[in-house]
Amino acid sequence: MRVVIADDETLLREGLARLLADAGLDVVGKAGTAEELMRRVELTRPDVAIVDIRMPPTHTDEGLVAAQEIRRSHPSVGVLVLSHYVESRYAMRLLEEHPERSGYLLKERVSDLAVLVDALERIADGECVLDPTIVSRLVRRPREESPLDELTEREREVLALIAEGHSNDGICKQLFLSPKTVETHVRHILLKLGIGETHEYHRRVLAVLAYLRG
Amino acid sequence: MRRWTIAVGVAALGVAAGLFTLGVARDDPGYGFAGSSDASGAALLAAGWALIGCGLASWVRRPASAFGPLLAAAGFAWFLPEWNNPAIGSAPAFTLGLALYAACPPLVAHAVLAYPGGRLGSRIEAGVLAVAYTGGLLVLGVLPALVFDPQAEGCGQCPANLLLVSDQGGVAEDLYRAGMYAGLGWALALSLLAVVKLTRASRPRRSVLAAGAAYLVLVAASFAVSLDRGFVSNGTLERRLWLGQAVALVAVALGIVWSWVRARRARSAVARLVVELAQSPPPGGLREVLSGIVGDPELLLAYPLRETGNLVDAHGRPVELPAGRETTSLMRDGRPVAVLAHKSGLLDDEQLVEDVTSAARLALENERLQAEIQARLEELRASRARIVEAGDAERKRLERDLHDGAQQRLVGLSLSLRLLRSQLADGGDGEALPQLAAAETELRNATVELRELAHGIFPAVLADEGLAAAVEALAEEARVPIRIRSLPERRYDAPIETAAYTVVAEAARIATSTLVVAAKASPGALVVEVETQDGDALDVAALEDRLGALDGRLVLVRTDNGRVTIRAELPCAS
Repeated sequence: MRVVIADDETLLREGLARLLADAGLDVVGKAGTAEELMRRVELTRPDVAIVDIRMPPTHTDEGLVAAQEIRRSHPSVGVLVLSHYVESRYAMRLLEEHPERSGYLLKERVSDLAVLVDALERIADGECVLDPTIVSRLVRRPREESPLDELTEREREVLALIAEGHSNDGICKQLFLSPKTVETHVRHILLKLGIGETHEYHRRVLAVLAYLRG
Repeated sequence: MRRWTIAVGVAALGVAAGLFTLGVARDDPGYGFAGSSDASGAALLAAGWALIGCGLASWVRRPASAFGPLLAAAGFAWFLPEWNNPAIGSAPAFTLGLALYAACPPLVAHAVLAYPGGRLGSRIEAGVLAVAYTGGLLVLGVLPALVFDPQAEGCGQCPANLLLVSDQGGVAEDLYRAGMYAGLGWALALSLLAVVKLTRASRPRRSVLAAGAAYLVLVAASFAVSLDRGFVSNGTLERRLWLGQAVALVAVALGIVWSWVRARRARSAVARLVVELAQSPPPGGLREVLSGIVGDPELLLAYPLRETGNLVDAHGRPVELPAGRETTSLMRDGRPVAVLAHKSGLLDDEQLVEDVTSAARLALENERLQAEIQARLEELRASRARIVEAGDAERKRLERDLHDGAQQRLVGLSLSLRLLRSQLADGGDGEALPQLAAAETELRNATVELRELAHGIFPAVLADEGLAAAVEALAEEARVPIRIRSLPERRYDAPIETAAYTVVAEAARIATSTLVVAAKASPGALVVEVETQDGDALDVAALEDRLGALDGRLVLVRTDNGRVTIRAELPCAS
């Protein structure tokens, strides 16, 4: 897999590049600013661009803006935004517009190679990826009377995995369940939450996230 | 008393001069303007007596001003051209008429331009007037009189010219002609000055200036039609111009009388002021009252602060005196209590200013003190706002430093550990691996804790995305359900967003059950309402401090079911 890495912190950028190279990925470009990132993407057309959310000059959301721009102008290039922000709103800005081939992980995941590589592969496959910490915040947030209370423990697990962007196959692997069982769980969950049956994968992710955030 | 005696004496002299002049004019109507008809006789007397009367009355009212004497003198001078009449019979009177027959226009112009204070407005006015006096009194008066012999010029029955030095008929004629040309110039220049002054003058003053300007234009016209002859004849056109001058002079007098009537009305308004002030007007009300009394809707009333002298309005807000308006200080014990910015000439009547000041003394002092207190409060509020803002800015900086500095380092460190682990694993040196994994876990926990700490210091989402995003994020992490009724999507100034957020965050911090949040933009304010079960635990003082710094308000409304609605109103430009 070919990736481009954008982070203004040299140490992080180089470290991450080495880690990914060791894991067998092909790091085809590195960038310290959003502009440089756009140039690298333009030149190398990677499978995924890994982008830090905070970049010069204001260090707020330049990375996110650049990621959106990449999704807009290069539909074949996936993006993975690394962020300090655990609030779902930043992630939703990215996912709502282009759920396919987009991912949003908390920055501390960089040292968790398995999670990182898994996320990159899923993004390259066209899935969308949302950090488990952000999802678990959404699932666990205090609510008044809610249909979520009626879900079984297993159903809640499945719900969280749907929100993280996993496909049914992915959920099967994660929970060691048969495809049939997963399908049943998914149908039950959507029914209980009153989310209309939808087989389209991305629409399902967004509907669940919208439900959890609402 | 003596002033009255003098005035009555001069008035009697004026009556006599008028009647005498009319007699002379009637004796031989061929030489003047006034003798040809009853109407012109009436015009002669009306204009002359009006000027003399108004001049004397002005002098009695305001002896320090040169205006009254100037106007009275102009009244006498108005009669003099008629004295160039052979029928006058008296050599001194005839000579006087000869020497001063063009004295009236400069005197009227002087009086009108100096109305009512007696002082001219500018050097230009003084300069043009000097030219006019020279032209009217010397070039058209005394100088030609020295060389003009009426008998030699064909006026057999004329009395002797007492000023005659030697008969130089040609020189006299040249002088007269030059005087006419000059007269056309200065009369027009003076009327122009009067018009310029008029544009900036108060209403009563304006009518006097307008009438004066009209008179001077008519004088200029008389000169213009006589340029070739070198003397003003009494043809039909000249007669009409003279009649017009008489009417303009009467109008000058009427304008002055009108200003007295206004002043009287203003005085009675001062009495009304006393009554109205007895009912103590609200802050700023004094301006309304005064503006009504002096008849200037744009009147500005400002108070100088004791310490700095800076001007503030009745609410303590800084004001600047508008350019191009006259200002009058209302003094008390030698110190200005208030400053009025008004139309120019409006408060020329010193007596009126004094009356107003003393009538409104208490109210002025009261409003000034109020303004002073308000100004101090405003200063205090501003400094409180600065302190709060400085605190917020500091927290924001700290949050950013933690994110961009410390947290970034920790992430970098965990990355390094992860690389080290790979290397060790590759090198077959497996003993240290478990410790390394433990260190990585520790490090990850530290990173999470640091993130939460930074977020607790200041939510970056508030600065980046605004109130709605920040409250939604708060709802994700709060310990209790937060039901959001409405949130404004628009952005507000940072201090307002921070204050609004703090109200919700503070309520969420102490909440033990569901919060209901509604933030709405109302005209001129952002209103945040948080309904909670735990209103009693709220640190009201801290929130009030924060809101007060923005001139906002905190209201706690208790509902029947024992819940409390915390209502914060934050004024802002909508």
